[in-house]
Amino acid sequence: MARVPIEEGYFRIPDDPEASPVLLGSRCPNCGEVFFPRRMVCAQCLYEGTDDVDLSIRGTLWTWTYCEIPLFGKKDTDVPGYGVGQVDLPEGPRIQAILMGGPDDFEFGMELELDLEVLRTNSEGDEVVIYRFRPVEGAA
Amino acid sequence: MRRGLTFEGVAVAGIGMVRFGMLRDYALMHMARDAGLIALHDAGMTLADVDEAMVGYIGLTSMTGVKAMKELGLTGLPVTHIENASATGLVAFREAAWAVSSGRADVAMALCFDKFTDLAARGGRGGGRDEIDAPILPASYFALWAQRRMHDRGTSVETFAKIAAKNWNYGAASPMSHRQPDHVVTVEEVLASRMVARPLTSMMCCPADDGAACVILAREELVRAQQPERPLVRPLASALQSETYARGHTFVGPVVGPSTMTRDTALECYEAASLGPEDVNVAFVHDAFVNEELEYYELLGFCEPGGGDRLVAEGATGPGGRIPFNTDGGLVARGHPGGPTGLAIVHECVQQLRGQATGRQVEGARVALAHLVGGGSICTVNLLGVTD
Repeated sequence: MARVPIEEGYFRIPDDPEASPVLLGSRCPNCGEVFFPRRMVCAQCLYEGTDDVDLSIRGTLWTWTYCEIPLFGKKDTDVPGYGVGQVDLPEGPRIQAILMGGPDDFEFGMELELDLEVLRTNSEGDEVVIYRFRPVEGAA
Repeated sequence: MRRGLTFEGVAVAGIGMVRFGMLRDYALMHMARDAGLIALHDAGMTLADVDEAMVGYIGLTSMTGVKAMKELGLTGLPVTHIENASATGLVAFREAAWAVSSGRADVAMALCFDKFTDLAARGGRGGGRDEIDAPILPASYFALWAQRRMHDRGTSVETFAKIAAKNWNYGAASPMSHRQPDHVVTVEEVLASRMVARPLTSMMCCPADDGAACVILAREELVRAQQPERPLVRPLASALQSETYARGHTFVGPVVGPSTMTRDTALECYEAASLGPEDVNVAFVHDAFVNEELEYYELLGFCEPGGGDRLVAEGATGPGGRIPFNTDGGLVARGHPGGPTGLAIVHECVQQLRGQATGRQVEGARVALAHLVGGGSICTVNLLGVTD
């Protein structure tokens, strides 16, 4: 069974199921600023023609929350809550993403690692996956 | 070079709105019509007097604005759609004021409407969001601000709850507020309400409403001639900014920040008006989530960075305080249907400046500030004043 991204262009799925996914970024050759997701024009210096770069799989938690009401306008739902955070990567980008873990698993500044979550199986029988961040073992 | 706008010879001729709420049985077009008619009646006008219209909404399809204007009549006037997320209403107001100030119209209307209960019924969260970040709700996004604020400044959750209680209790005094509690809302009650995204409880979050609101602007001499008995309320200045890139900007997911956007937009508006926060008597901000209001006290210059908690402790932003905020209940109590929200803010600014805000009047209010942010992200700051 193959794994396919929920949307192309954001992350790469390794062939090795044990390996981490990779976020796809851009680095400006003029000013050096690094971005996620990929972009052609540098948001800082407006240079046209950034370089593709792979971003680090680990970052630190800048801020986080735990959302108890998963669906807009829906009060009664049995869908469980989930963590949401902003993760600073060493290259500079701040990534906003869903966090894997329970409501008591997060601390400011803790180390997190990129992971994949299977959302569903599509009509071709492939697993549709999305990236998440989860606390690095023993970091909390 | 970019400058804040100032308006020459423009005054508010009329205001109108329908009280926001979960108005499932109130047709969108009828809400728009009623808000428009109330404003026209307040101005002593018909659509035949209106030279131009700016219409705005967030959650509806193309063409809806032109169709809604037909409810008021078909006079051939130019109609332009304005959309800037939650800031839509204030931007429609700004553009209508500019249409008059520029000389191309003697009378211009800003009309906004939305029906968020339809969005919620579809289970959706509005268009324009990447599927990849769909699960991040606005409440989660602003909870990220709140959590970081508590971490950086030691702000207590009680401070957020005090702001929420203030706005709920202002709502009780405002006939146009969605939420009108029948008792004095306490900090304890806010804290005990259902958790949405920590630390934000449901009473710290705005309702996703339906509603419509309208403001009519006209040449000052027309308004003076038609309404000689009324204090003349005028738009003084307006600034509108989108994001300036800074490290930490998040490109995926909801985004309204970094916070410097509100600070920079306010400075642009103050400079255009040759006024400062010390000249403002009443202020309105995007308190979709009450922790935002705390940040805006500081970013709009009403206290030093980190000083917002003290303002709350002193009651400075409530009834009788130094600088009352969101006297109509704010987004948290008055409600937040999206597009019309900014025009509801203007509605309350005008009532305050006319001295008609019974039960919540800021005595001697001469200058009002109207701020909104919109997702994406965008910010607008506007100043209104009154002359007798």
